[in-house]
Amino acid sequence: MFLGIDRQNGSSLAMIDNEGYRLTYGETAALAAEAGRQVQKRSLIFLLCTNTVGSMLGYLGFVDAGAVPVTLNAHIDRELLRNLLEVYAPAYIWAPKAAAEEFPYAPVYETHGYVLLRTDSEIYPLHEDLQLCMTTSGSTGSPKLVRYKKGNLEANARNVAKAFGWTSAERAICDLGMQYTMGLNVINTHLYVGATVLLTTYNLMSADFWDYIRKERGTNFTGVPFSYDIFYRLRFERMDLPDLRTLSQGGGKLTDARFIQLAEYAQRTGKRFIPSFGTTETSARMACLPAELALTKTGSIGRAIPEGELFLIDENGQVLTDMEAEGEMCYKGPNVTMGYAVCKEDLSKGDEFKGVYRTGDLARRDADGCYYVTGRLSRFLKLLSYRVSLDQSERLIQQEFGIECACAGNDQRMNVYITDASKEKDVLDYIAGKTGLYKSLFKIYVVPGILRNDTGKIQYRVMDETYAG
Amino acid sequence: MTAREKYDEIFVKVFEVDKSELGSGFNFADVEKWDSLSHLTLISELEDAFDIMFETDDILHFGGYDNGRKILARYGVAID
Repeated sequence: MFLGIDRQNGSSLAMIDNEGYRLTYGETAALAAEAGRQVQKRSLIFLLCTNTVGSMLGYLGFVDAGAVPVTLNAHIDRELLRNLLEVYAPAYIWAPKAAAEEFPYAPVYETHGYVLLRTDSEIYPLHEDLQLCMTTSGSTGSPKLVRYKKGNLEANARNVAKAFGWTSAERAICDLGMQYTMGLNVINTHLYVGATVLLTTYNLMSADFWDYIRKERGTNFTGVPFSYDIFYRLRFERMDLPDLRTLSQGGGKLTDARFIQLAEYAQRTGKRFIPSFGTTETSARMACLPAELALTKTGSIGRAIPEGELFLIDENGQVLTDMEAEGEMCYKGPNVTMGYAVCKEDLSKGDEFKGVYRTGDLARRDADGCYYVTGRLSRFLKLLSYRVSLDQSERLIQQEFGIECACAGNDQRMNVYITDASKEKDVLDYIAGKTGLYKSLFKIYVVPGILRNDTGKIQYRVMDETYAG
Repeated sequence: MTAREKYDEIFVKVFEVDKSELGSGFNFADVEKWDSLSHLTLISELEDAFDIMFETDDILHFGGYDNGRKILARYGVAID
């Protein structure tokens, strides 16, 4: 069975959610198989995901039955959802009961708060290797999907579990959405080793979340940088969390100050801090930093996971062979997906990535073979024809002033968003000085908050439209 | 501006709602826009506006408009 669910001890707990459901591996295997029997093999299914047992049963059962789920946030903007429905014409929708009422289709099956709807779309050909589709984490309002092939999800689950040393004793706190590549990877990785996943829809800033992870004795947590901003806002380092042994991070770069804070917290309390790196195009994780290096390799994403390989190339696409080097980071491994889709015809396409993915990220490799992401190829502006890295500008300002900041804009002007009004003038002086460019090429906006999507990624385009439009 | 006006203005800004929607029914569970980001923004705005620093427990239990008024009262801020 998919992820080897039926290979585990049937009486151990597989999934718990905060709606009160608790399923063993035996129950999960039986219920997922039952869900799988309700759909036609090689049909496309929209999954309106929540971190609940019902949502998971559809995902596991449909993949196992050979259907192809498209994972979407259940709270997805309805206009975008309508657009996706039109573009991809799925044969089925798997939705929470309340959301199912929005659609004009009759329910054909129901379990654990989720409902299967058969749409009026015809089933059309999908590539034989296609297993799952996901929206790209960066895209807002675009119908672009990443195409996963058979083997991607299981390979990443197996190798990440190995890299992190997970055993069946783990009780993973699954707060990142399952529609999101890293959220799904945290779940898959733990199911793969027969551990228990603690699914939750609680907001990290609510008492419910902390009560839940204490009561269910969560042993590890994976967050994006924003999750840790919240943790520190709640002064979590003063909380008594004896069961929590591992903190992991992905989904964007932590500031160096936060990285050090987490590494030191872990050392002080006998826990592990494991930063990692991944993309939707590589079925989540490509690399992680061994916990014992967290204190000495600030900001590093470490080395490739087992069965994977990281390498750097220069502008001409030549592989950089020196141990210490800087260039575009590329990855080779069994978790590299097939490519993208922008229309339903693309779902019959074969493997375009062929096992190698160019991340578009600039990275540095140190003498020990550990990687550091230093910026993104595409996040550059050309101000008066000078290349200015937006990520680097952001980090410079964050580090100089210790404030929240986001940089965006166009080749005419960089928009710098900050939340601390008292620093407006100093930030302008500083960034103009650092880049050696005219102040008129920068505009500082004092805003109530840096806008992020639900995975914590800054929404640069939305910020430009909202504040600088 | 009175404390009540300041308090209302922050809610209106953070949750992008009309002032008339605020009241005892304005709670975490019923407001779709009330997620961890808006919660964090709300707490920061209130701390700035009233020059206070919330305890963790109060941040975690700041689950609604009315309850927030009770919590603020403990910091010496009366939202009448």
